[in-house]
Order: sequence, then structure tokens, then C-alpha cells
Amino acid sequence: MPFDTDQTEKAMTRDPEEYAIRSPAESTSPPPPAEAVMRIEDMDVFYGDFRAVKEVSIPFAKNEITALIGPSGCGKSTVLRSLNRMNDLIPTARVEGKVMFHDENIYQRHVDPVEVRRRVGMVFQKPNPFPKSIYENVAWGARINGFKGKRGELDDLVEHALTQAALWEEVKDKLTESGYSLSGGQQQRLCIARAVAPSPEVLLMDEPCSALDPIATLRIEELMMTLKKEFTIIIVTHNMQQAGRVSDRTAFFSVDVDDRGQRTGKLVEFDDTDRIFTAPGEKETEDYITGRFG
Amino acid sequence: MADTRFRFHDELETLEQKLLSVADQAEQMVEMAVDAYTEGDLEAADRVIELDSVIDQTYLDVHNAWLHLMARQQPMGSDLRRMSMLLHMNTTLERMGDQTVNIAKMAHATTGLPRVDKIAEELREMGDLVRAMVRTGIEALVRRDADEARLLPAMDEPVDRLNRDMYQEVVKAGSDPGRLEWAIKAMMVSRALERVGDQVVDIGEQLAFLLTGEMAEFDESGLGRSDVQPG
Repeated sequence: MPFDTDQTEKAMTRDPEEYAIRSPAESTSPPPPAEAVMRIEDMDVFYGDFRAVKEVSIPFAKNEITALIGPSGCGKSTVLRSLNRMNDLIPTARVEGKVMFHDENIYQRHVDPVEVRRRVGMVFQKPNPFPKSIYENVAWGARINGFKGKRGELDDLVEHALTQAALWEEVKDKLTESGYSLSGGQQQRLCIARAVAPSPEVLLMDEPCSALDPIATLRIEELMMTLKKEFTIIIVTHNMQQAGRVSDRTAFFSVDVDDRGQRTGKLVEFDDTDRIFTAPGEKETEDYITGRFG
Repeated sequence: MADTRFRFHDELETLEQKLLSVADQAEQMVEMAVDAYTEGDLEAADRVIELDSVIDQTYLDVHNAWLHLMARQQPMGSDLRRMSMLLHMNTTLERMGDQTVNIAKMAHATTGLPRVDKIAEELREMGDLVRAMVRTGIEALVRRDADEARLLPAMDEPVDRLNRDMYQEVVKAGSDPGRLEWAIKAMMVSRALERVGDQVVDIGEQLAFLLTGEMAEFDESGLGRSDVQPG
């Protein structure tokens, strides 16, 4: 069972008497996801001696969108980056606990982080196409993953990825033009095409719309709803309405401050998005989504 | 704790206060309407009709303010549930006002007809019971007390019973056409009071939803269908 870890239980348990606005009696646990593709189990993330995130456990269900929300400094991006070992690139970063991808802990010594990142793709906050053609931006992902097919097969792969990213119709006649010639929203969809080209199972998105205008944002959100049919998506967003619009489940993170003023991110609550935004179980979640925090 | 959305929360509070004063007024209108019918007090009847037009205006004002808040503030959590409650309350209170107007119109339609004392007495009893329900609903709301709201179905029970049995009193009213007409119209008054009772229970259910996050109709013991029975 993906929900039986201590932290999740702790996040789901509440004492109704504690709150003026009481918690629903029956919302103690969301229906378990059909199949968790990834699962964080009792994870702490350290930067040197500094514990940035503590005791996080979350299952990520197949073909669902899970949103990670919370105030600045709550560790949600750190958690996201731990899912494809992007934190490895920071020399002092250290992960304790497990991050399971299917049945394998991706932090085991023998696991190749490059292979992890092929299967768990990532889209960043700011569109970051390479200074290359639109075609090469997408083909790159396949190439570095050792694509050995014929040119025609690569063409098909590029077309498929651009179609998945809902960009093909807009760029099919200018594939040799620079990725920089596109608008911000198009560039972000190009980055999504690049991320899906190696056929990952999981797509991590770190604030993918924060640099985009509202229309481009809505297009990306619509795209996410389509992409989840093929991928499992985990998104960090500051925009609660966005989390509400796109995600199936939401994990709310917050910050504990100790006596020495050290701030450590923690998972407060993980539940169905409907539940989190209408009747969350934890007072901290309620305070955050209704704007009462300080 | 800092409330970063204090303006929005102030506006919510203002809407709720408006609706609470409408509920207060509705309680008085129930009293006036019952007096109008049972004592043939047409001045009271006219006053009810007048006050209802004020409720109708408040209904429109609250509805518009509610739409603005919804569009601009995109509330979540207990704010969202409170918005839901206020929207329901607004509609329900407007209908309660309409029911008292129905009674007031019956008073006009029966001017000069002889009354049946037993029926008048029972209507007054129903009016008192319903007014107590409105008061209980208001207090539960002000105190944010779901347990108090859960008393409402039990309070509604005698109202329902009096309404159900009203036709027997009408049968006993005798053959005098005037008395009979007054008694038959009294059944409609009884029905209107019974509806007001149900409407107060609805408001109680909305309050329970705000406080617990569970939307469920109260059964007679005041428990929502999805509530867990205590020990």
C-alpha cells in the first residue's frame, strides 16, 4: 500500500477539536492511486548540514497530475528535483530515505542518474531552448539517449514529440529556424517536446508557466491534461488556482522553524485536489489557502 | 496570525451580517403574517408585503456582491464553503419572505370570514415553533455551532405534524361556508409555515457543511447521512 508510511499517516491524521473550523470526519485518506509510478518514502534532503526538507512521503499515481504547493522556502522544488536526481548536481546535496521508481530506489549506488533523467523528464520555470533549430532542440533528447535510427525515423520522432506538445502545427514549416524565434509560450512547449522526446514515464514541471502570459499558461495547462494520458506529471506551482485547475492530487508543504531559526520544509497534507481546496484536513493547509499565514 | 486577505474576509462578514438581519426580519414577518391571518389584521399583512420587497432588494444586492467576490477572489477552503452557505442562505431567506407573503395574501383573501378558534390556535403554535427555529438557526450561525444546528430537524418535527393533521381540523370546521373557506385557506397557511421550517433546516445543513466540510441532509436526529454515529 502506498499510503501506509508514517509521514503520510501523520499528515492525514487530525484532531478535530483543535480547530475552530473542524475537519471532515471522513476525509482521512484519499482513495489509493491505482498504481504509484514513483514513491517518496520518508525522505530528508540536506544541503551540507542544513536539512532543507524532512520526512516526506508521497506516492505519485500513474497518469495523474500531482501538484506540489506551499509558501516560498517550503522545499517543494527541492522535493521535485529529488525525483530525477537533479540535486546531485549540487555538491553538498544529500538525500536520505528512498525515492522509488517502480520497485527501484533511484538513489541506490548502481543507478545511473542519466538513465533516471531519461525516464523522469523535466521542464523548467523559464523556457530554455538550446541555441539550435527547432528540429535539433527536439532531436537532441533522442540523440543523447543513443538514438541510432535512420533520419526518417528521427523525423517521425520529432514530429511525434512536437505533436504531443501541441506545437507541430505552428512550427512544421519552419523546423530549421532557431528555437529562439518562437514566442515564450511556444518555447515552453518546445521544451516540453524536448522533454517528452526520449519517452519518459514521468514529467516533472517546475513552475512551467510562471514566465508565461495567461493565454500561454492556459495552453500549457490544457496540454498537461492531454499529456497525463501518456505520462505521470508532477508540477510545482505557486499558483493555487493552477494547481486547482490541473491536478488530481495536491501535496501541501510548509516550513518548520526551529529555535536557531533554521527553516525546514515539511509535508503537511497530501490528498485529492478537490478535498485540499474545498475542505482540507489540516489547519495549516486551510490557513494557507484562505490567505491566513504569517 | 496575519490575515493577508482581510479585505475579502471583511466583505464576506458584511454579506453574512446582511443575511443575518434578513433572517431576523423573516422571523418577525412570520409573527406578523400569523397575526394577520389568525386575527384578520390587514395592517400586519400589508407590513409583511412591504418588508418582503426590502428582502427582495437585499437578495439582489447580496447576489451581485457574491458574484463579484466569486469572480475576483476565487475563494478556497472554508472561504469557499462559506460562500456556498451564503448563496444558499440568500435564496432560502428570499423564499422564506415569499412564504410569509403567501400567508399575508391569505389574510386579505379571508377578510371578514369567521375564524375557527382551534385552527387559529394551532397556526399560532406553528408560528411560534417556526420562529424559535429561525432564532436557533441564527444563534447557531453566529456561534458557529454545528451541534445547535443539528437541533433543527427535531424542532421541525412538531411543525410537520401540526401541518399533517391540519386537514382533520378542517373537516371538523362544520358546514358553514364562511368558516369552511377560512379553514381551507388556513391549510395553505399551515403549509407555508411548514415550508419555512424546512427552509431553516436547510440553512442549518449549510452551516454544518461550512463547519465540517461534509455536505449532507440532516435526518430527524440532526445527523447527516454520511456522519458517523457517536459510540
